[in-house]
Amino acid sequence: MTDYAFSFDQLSNYLILGAALMSLGMLGFLSRRNLIVMFLSAEMMLQGTALTLVSFSRFHGNWTGQVFTIVMLTVAASEAALALALILVLFNRNRSLDISLWQGLRESGLPESLDTDKAEPYVPLPGPESYPNLTPSGVEPPHPRQPWEQRRG
Amino acid sequence: MTLLDTRDFGWILAIVALGWVGMWLLLPHRHGGSRTTRVTSVGALLAGIALLLFLPLLTPPGPLLPTLFFYAFSLLSLIGAVLMITARDPVYSALWFATVVLASSGLFLLAGAQFLAAGTVIVYAGAIIVTFLFVLMLAQSHGQAIYDRSARRPLASSFTSLLLLGALVASIVATGSGVTEETPSPVVSVNDLVKGDPATEPVALVAATAVRETARLPEPHEFGQRPPHVAGLGGTLFTDHLLAVEVIGLLLFIALIGAVAIATPRIPVRPDRSNGSAPGSSSSAPAGTA
Repeated sequence: MTDYAFSFDQLSNYLILGAALMSLGMLGFLSRRNLIVMFLSAEMMLQGTALTLVSFSRFHGNWTGQVFTIVMLTVAASEAALALALILVLFNRNRSLDISLWQGLRESGLPESLDTDKAEPYVPLPGPESYPNLTPSGVEPPHPRQPWEQRRG
Repeated sequence: MTLLDTRDFGWILAIVALGWVGMWLLLPHRHGGSRTTRVTSVGALLAGIALLLFLPLLTPPGPLLPTLFFYAFSLLSLIGAVLMITARDPVYSALWFATVVLASSGLFLLAGAQFLAAGTVIVYAGAIIVTFLFVLMLAQSHGQAIYDRSARRPLASSFTSLLLLGALVASIVATGSGVTEETPSPVVSVNDLVKGDPATEPVALVAATAVRETARLPEPHEFGQRPPHVAGLGGTLFTDHLLAVEVIGLLLFIALIGAVAIATPRIPVRPDRSNGSAPGSSSSAPAGTA
């Protein structure tokens, strides 16, 4: 027998994992402020749900859960296409992926939820950034080689 | 339906409490302050203990090799999920999400969904991640922007999510704790109902009518004899769910039109100038970027 029985214990394994992925995705969606990370978190919630559906499909011995998961994959792909198009438009407006710049879209009567004025400035790590040591090849360029001293950003 | 016993309840409470504090310490600071290495390592330790406390809730699936792969994939997906949420650099977030997708497609394989495992890898890790990485490279913030270094209400949101996780896990474990010798499964599988005699049992008749022959998973075969997996999935897709297939094809088409309509840059029409400037270039100084 290549197949072992899929008992309720197996089902509850997958259900617990799906619940964990789903609530961690919810945590990311609630707490992160980057638009792209928020969309990735939403996709992770979908992954947890897909895990649940596949395990139920196996437990009940029919294909319905897997067909549902295929539909969900399609919806996720459409959602990602539209989300990326929207993110591109929003990024072109503000040159930033910050979700809190779009707080004007909130319900009327609600206070602003963020106070970025108190934010501390970014402290870069001291010293030059380390880059991989590439093997020199080809003709030596005529200009003198300068070591890289600056960090990006 | 039985209630949770005290030991399971305490166990889940420990997961919720440790995960709450650990995720709060691992997430970015509310005002974008920098965390010291010690605080981060304490958070990683607490979250790691909470992840390890998950493992005794899972039951090993039979033989050694499936057990080994199941625990490896589940740990990998949980660790990848935590690191995806807490990574400051969104490029790392995307890569950890790819790890989560690969691990969960391994779990799909273990649950007997070969086609979905391959499809998930192709659709998510192949297409979506690459597109997200393109957009991330366009934004070029490298985790230094203020919106990457700060989180929205990390204490409250991690408490909410961990409470949801605790409630879900508690309900699943409470359902599973009703297993006795007489009732080995607290949830009735349709697979068992279908096998009953339709002439004597009305429930079996209903189940057999609702779940047609094409909609059932193939029976387990002898060693070396492969059940026709993808053929069965295609069979049920194009007989039982034909309308759904048509509808999702239409949905993809509409999403394609929508994406093209939204993302196409529109050159603003200026009455005084014949050729307007490029869109977006006239916006103000970069907001929020370092």
